[in-house]
Amino acid sequence: MSETRIPVGRVLRASNRGFTVGCRVMQPDIPAFGSFVRADARTPDGAIYGLIYDVTVQDDLFVRRFVMVEPPEEVVRDQRENRQVPIEVSVLAVGYRTGDRIVHAIPPQPPVTMDYLYPCSPDEIVAFTRRFDYFRLVLDAPGVPADELIATSLLAAAAARPAEERMDFLVEAGRELTRLLANDLIRLDGLLQRIRSATE
Amino acid sequence: MTLPLNELVASVERMAKVLAQRETDFARRKQEARRWLKEYADQGPVLRTAAQDVNAAIPTDEPLDAVVPTPPVPDRFTVVGADGSTIPPDRHGAALYYVINIGSLVYRHGSGERPQARSAPFLGYEQKDLFEGTALVAGNLLDVRRDQAEIEHLAERVEEEPKGPTLVLVDGTLLLWVLENLPPEAEGREKKVRRYLGALDRIREKGAAVAGFISRPRHTEVSRLLLLAHLGGDVERVRQAERGRLPLPDRAVFADLPAGARSALFASPNKINQMYASAGHEVWFFYLNVAAEGEEPIVARVEVPVWVARSDDLLSLVHAGVVAQSRIAGGYPYVLARADELAYISGPERQRLQEMVETALLRAGLPPSLSPKAYFKTLTRAGRRW
Repeated sequence: MSETRIPVGRVLRASNRGFTVGCRVMQPDIPAFGSFVRADARTPDGAIYGLIYDVTVQDDLFVRRFVMVEPPEEVVRDQRENRQVPIEVSVLAVGYRTGDRIVHAIPPQPPVTMDYLYPCSPDEIVAFTRRFDYFRLVLDAPGVPADELIATSLLAAAAARPAEERMDFLVEAGRELTRLLANDLIRLDGLLQRIRSATE
Repeated sequence: MTLPLNELVASVERMAKVLAQRETDFARRKQEARRWLKEYADQGPVLRTAAQDVNAAIPTDEPLDAVVPTPPVPDRFTVVGADGSTIPPDRHGAALYYVINIGSLVYRHGSGERPQARSAPFLGYEQKDLFEGTALVAGNLLDVRRDQAEIEHLAERVEEEPKGPTLVLVDGTLLLWVLENLPPEAEGREKKVRRYLGALDRIREKGAAVAGFISRPRHTEVSRLLLLAHLGGDVERVRQAERGRLPLPDRAVFADLPAGARSALFASPNKINQMYASAGHEVWFFYLNVAAEGEEPIVARVEVPVWVARSDDLLSLVHAGVVAQSRIAGGYPYVLARADELAYISGPERQRLQEMVETALLRAGLPPSLSPKAYFKTLTRAGRRW
């Protein structure tokens, strides 16, 4: 796939449920929690969509020598800008695309090692979030801060739309969450609160 | 497991006892050596010739027990450090080649700027790269080439620098001592030394100071000089006294230097140093406690060419610059730690390069093949063995 945007990084390890990408700290667009991202699928016109749910700066013994003292500015810049200390970005797979068809389900195949991961464009985010079937994948995912992830991704998806459509979009998403979490009103209330407070 | 550890248990225990005993002996001799340092502090001039004969540190004009505190650090100065690593040629590999990778860092103290990091690799594969006469460039020969590449890289980087106080740091000695062990068929030592000294000339012409930093030095030249002084300058008695016992390391003698202070300057008695001296680069050295105030002493050896040692400004820059650099990370110059990191060739990188070579050979119509020995190593070392 041709791509003009800067990739987030390359896949380190992967499974159908999710994958981990390594990238350099010095990268200008450090990926953020809740961002929509895309990796190329094994088919030529396919893609795998995911949500970033964890960004970890790797431990580094050399850096440890400096964190307890106040190092000179030159050292801080050298450590931040020159040294290739990787950050690991963990992604939860929430869907895939074959041709023009977007499916909210676990992708049939994971990306492979060294594949690039790209941030989704606003158009892609809008196309992906026309439906909310991916909520269930997030809510059921083990070891993932699911509520925070849904709230943050919905706000990102709202921001990708024109201003006049945002509120309707969030209300629609809220309805779907109400349906899914009808048996857990406390959790539902917390989630809706998060979304509401961010829009006020 | 192929190393029968159980058969080594008794030896390891014995070794620990021997080392503990040696430590007690060293502690006693250390006190003795420090006493001699004071007692014979002004004997330097009369010991010079004898010192050369027994491979002891050669005294300079400073009293032997001189202690020089850290001179003031300039507000702004630049430190350039380099280090090198190699992949030696493998006779059993798919192709015969070697790699020298030089890492360097330019650090501008007081600037707040991002230091400039660089890694410069070189692949040696032609006949002239791989052989000196009939000897394959490996072992000491490759080490010498790496040292030359380091100093030439440093000279280039210094030449790119704007004017201002600049300190060039080499990891390890400035003396190409390995040349003493070269096989006779190797290309002339003198030529190699001249080439190294040519790079030192370039650094001197830029007005920069240059120094070799040796962490945890094992040299015993000053302690031998003190023994020589104690034995009245009698070379024969020194040889007899040293027979059968390990000499005391110099760093033990100078472990009482205050934080940031240096010892007296001495000239190196190494034979190769005579060639350096004839080109105006005789190597002198001092010991330096690079630890911060109130911390356990960390004694390093710093080597400088005589033109640095004789210039108050350059010597102060080396002394203060090495202390400032060593205090950043604690006990070792920051630029050298980073240069090592930039030069280091990891296992996966070696593997990737080997794959690159094999692919390129295939593309050039040459099927790569390992020797039978290398092939079987790939089988026996790949997995777990019982």
